[in-house]
Amino acid sequence: MAKRVLVVDDANFMRMIVKDTLTPRGFQICGEATNGAEAVQKYQQLKPDLVTMDITMKVKDGLQAAREILAADPNARIVMVTALGQERMLLDSIALGVRDFVVKPFTAERILSAVEKALI
Amino acid sequence: MKINAKHVNPFVEAAMKVVSQIAGIEVRRGHLSYKPKVEPSFGVSIIIGIYGFLTGQVVYSLDGKLAESLVDKLLAGKSPQQKKIMFLDSLGEVANMITGNATALLNQKTDQILNITTPAIAAGDNLSVHLVPKPALVLGLITQHGPIEISIAVEEKETLNETDSSFEDVLTEA
Repeated sequence: MAKRVLVVDDANFMRMIVKDTLTPRGFQICGEATNGAEAVQKYQQLKPDLVTMDITMKVKDGLQAAREILAADPNARIVMVTALGQERMLLDSIALGVRDFVVKPFTAERILSAVEKALI
Repeated sequence: MKINAKHVNPFVEAAMKVVSQIAGIEVRRGHLSYKPKVEPSFGVSIIIGIYGFLTGQVVYSLDGKLAESLVDKLLAGKSPQQKKIMFLDSLGEVANMITGNATALLNQKTDQILNITTPAIAAGDNLSVHLVPKPALVLGLITQHGPIEISIAVEEKETLNETDSSFEDVLTEA
C-alpha cells in the first residue's frame, strides 16, 4: 500500500517538485498545505504517514507546526525541506523530533533517501 | 548604517550554486557598486527581508527575458498555462533558495539564527518599487540569458531585532 505524504510549502513550485519526485516512486500525495497552521489542521484530518515541511511560511512557520504536530502525535514522521541550511536550525529540528533536514535546492536522490529513511 | 562587503560573497556563492543546480544556467560575477538607496534596474523584482544579527533586505532584480528563460528551465515539460501560473511563484522560490543558502554561509555560529521573510514579487514594464531608503551594495551577476542584480541592504545588529515580515505593501505598479 502506498505511503501517504502531506506536502507543506508556501510555494506552489516547490510543492510541485516534491510531488513530481515522490509520486513516480510510489508515494501518494494525500494533501498539501501552504502554511504551518494549515499543516497542523491537515495532519489531524488526513493522518499521513509522513510530512515534508518548509520552514519559512506566513501565518505559522514550519518549526512551530512541527512542534505542534509532534506534541499531538510523537510518532509523526516529519522531514524538514528548507532553504535555511543553518546549523542551529538543523539542531533545533532534530531536538524537536524531526527525522531529517533537507536543504533546498535538493536532488531527487536526497529527498527520496530522506523520506524512505524516515519511514523505516 | 554599517554596510560590509563581507556580506556580499555569500550571495555570489549561493546564486552560482542555486541557479546552476536548478536551472543549469552558469552565473558569473559582475561588478560591485554602492547605491545610496535601492533602485531595482530591471522589470522583475523580488524582495526578501533578513532579520537576526543582521537586519535589512535583499532585492533581486532581473530582466523579463532572463526571468522567462529561468522559468522555462525550472518548469521544463510543463504546459505554457502551468508556466504562466507559476511564473512569479517559481522566481520567488529561486530568490528564497539563494537567500537561505547565503544565510547559512553568513551564519557560521551555532548559537545564532538568521531568519528570512517570504518573498514579495512584482513584475511589469512600468514598475516602481518603493523601499525604505537605505544604502545598498549592488552586485551584478552575468548569465548567458541576461543580467541579475542583487542589492544587499543589511546592517549588523548587536541583538535580535525582528523587522516587519510583510513587504507586499512596498511594491506598487506605476
